[in-house]
Amino acid sequence: MSTVSIHDLTKTYGHGDLTVDAVRHVDLEINAGEVVLIMGPSGSGKTTLLLMLGAMLRPTSGSITIDGTDLATAPERALPPLRAHHFGFVFQDFNLLTALDARENVELACNLVGVKGRAAHQRATELLTKLGLADRLHFRPDQLSGGEKQRVAIARALANDPPVILADEPTANLDTSHGRAIGRLLRELAIRDGRSVIIVSHDQRLKEIADRVLWLEDGQFRQLATMATDPVCGMAVDTADNPHLEYDGRTWWFCSTHCHDEFTTEPERFIAPEVTVGGQ
Amino acid sequence: MISRRVPLARRALFQDRRRAGLTTAGVAAALLLVLLLQGIFDGAMRQVTAYLRSSPADVVVSQEGVRTMHMSVSALAPDTVTAVERVDGVAWAEPIRYTTTVLARGERQQLSYVIGYDPATGRAGPRHLVTGRAPRAGEIVLEEIAADRLDAHIGEQVTVLGDQFRVTGTFRGGTSIANSMAFITTDDFAARRGDTVAYILVGARPGTDPAQLARRLAGELTGVTVQTRQQFAAEEASLVQDMSADLMRIMTLVGFLIALAVIALTLFALTMAKLREHAVVKAMGGPTGRLARVVLAQAAWSVGLAVAIATVLAVGLGNLVERISPAVAIAIEPASVARVALVTLVVGALGAIVPLRRVAGVDPASAFRRAS
Repeated sequence: MSTVSIHDLTKTYGHGDLTVDAVRHVDLEINAGEVVLIMGPSGSGKTTLLLMLGAMLRPTSGSITIDGTDLATAPERALPPLRAHHFGFVFQDFNLLTALDARENVELACNLVGVKGRAAHQRATELLTKLGLADRLHFRPDQLSGGEKQRVAIARALANDPPVILADEPTANLDTSHGRAIGRLLRELAIRDGRSVIIVSHDQRLKEIADRVLWLEDGQFRQLATMATDPVCGMAVDTADNPHLEYDGRTWWFCSTHCHDEFTTEPERFIAPEVTVGGQ
Repeated sequence: MISRRVPLARRALFQDRRRAGLTTAGVAAALLLVLLLQGIFDGAMRQVTAYLRSSPADVVVSQEGVRTMHMSVSALAPDTVTAVERVDGVAWAEPIRYTTTVLARGERQQLSYVIGYDPATGRAGPRHLVTGRAPRAGEIVLEEIAADRLDAHIGEQVTVLGDQFRVTGTFRGGTSIANSMAFITTDDFAARRGDTVAYILVGARPGTDPAQLARRLAGELTGVTVQTRQQFAAEEASLVQDMSADLMRIMTLVGFLIALAVIALTLFALTMAKLREHAVVKAMGGPTGRLARVVLAQAAWSVGLAVAIATVLAVGLGNLVERISPAVAIAIEPASVARVALVTLVVGALGAIVPLRRVAGVDPASAFRRAS
């Protein structure tokens, strides 16, 4: 069942003869538990699409439906609570509030939906502990590493248990190992909790964790990569340029040579039906 | 337990402690100026009204049109005291003689109001002698600060109204930077300045309302002005107020304008520095009202802390000044502090207007722009 449904979405900037279509007639269904990676060149409309998805920018036409509510037509006053309840945001620059410590950053998100005091305190502690930050609760952002900051930001995004996570270049400011770890974490959030995770990124590494990769160019989806599931780690992998092998009459795709090698030692352990996730 | 929100306003305000300290110090300094001025003013009023505040009189009768003792000359007809005593509700009527003169001892001089009174009743004399006893013929009691300025001790002579008077006691209250009070017997006064009565202090019978008695006296007597003691003291206070009102107004305005500038600049700088974070909170679903409350809370914190610090400093400085220069009374009244706090809150709210407009205009989408 789709969590987010986008129909004929268009965003036009400017007036009269000086108009630019940042997003043109886009249709998209995003299912619960699905990770969708939106890629594309600069100026392709990725951020515009993300902002419309996050109820921060009104589309010129079309609809964005989440839990039966059309964000395109919802009254302005209804948008902040909609954002607080339905979306968790993960930013490239982490965007943690520098005056607050890690726990307070997460608590603040709880406060925005009316959860305060001890309940917010417990929720924040629980989330940060789950994300391996139990010993960083009282650290301010300037005392945290990039990876830790992004985990705090993810904890904050999860504070209100939103059905949709919107991530804008979540790995851009992270080194390879931290970027990979954050990618896996986002993937886990989708699989374990059944959330829809929508990522806008240039980072090719994130293809590994996506169920679908959408290529946005000139405001339209141009190309759709076919993804397969790594039978060893469960990660979605791009069938274009990842290690693979033929076994039992089928082609098996892996995120890395490590998974490839592990599979070859005992294939029967890992055999599962191939998942091919398509888009529009 | 009260469910608390994350104290975003406080955390952001005190994140940069140096800036917070400078802001608080700046606002506190401006408020200190206002409080001290008000304190000096209140202290002066306290000094000016010291005699009346301690008087047992309920009503004061003066010459028609004369409403104060300070900077006034009053002369009543000789039979006025008897006329007052006959009015229903009057328990007693005590005449006083009064003039402004210079007390001198050697090279030292002190401008002073001299009151001639009847020591037998003591009603019009100083209420509490700090040292010595009430005057008899040829004797005088001085306010202790004036005695100190004249270096006049009990048993020593001072020149008053052209004659030598022996100091027999001192009392407290009534000396200001410019003026003081002294008491001699009514006969000594009459012998040197004539037997004109300047004012009549009137005591009401038990159960008689002073205001009612004042009205009755005013109705039955001619050529007089009758006021309750409180009205008379208020007139004295307003005299001081009129004399210093312009200066007070200007300095108070300057103080509040400085406070406004400091608060406004700080809140503006803080808000501008946090615009991106405000955008993040909005993106996360924070309503504009929540952020507006953050700005207002920061204004309230700045004001509250500054008022507290300014009050403590004003009280401390007041005590210090009074010790160094006893004639300067600085009275930091709770009502003054409350008034200053209230006006500063309004100033804080004014200082928050521009930041509030900026916060209201923050686009949540700007949280997605790359930080430079």
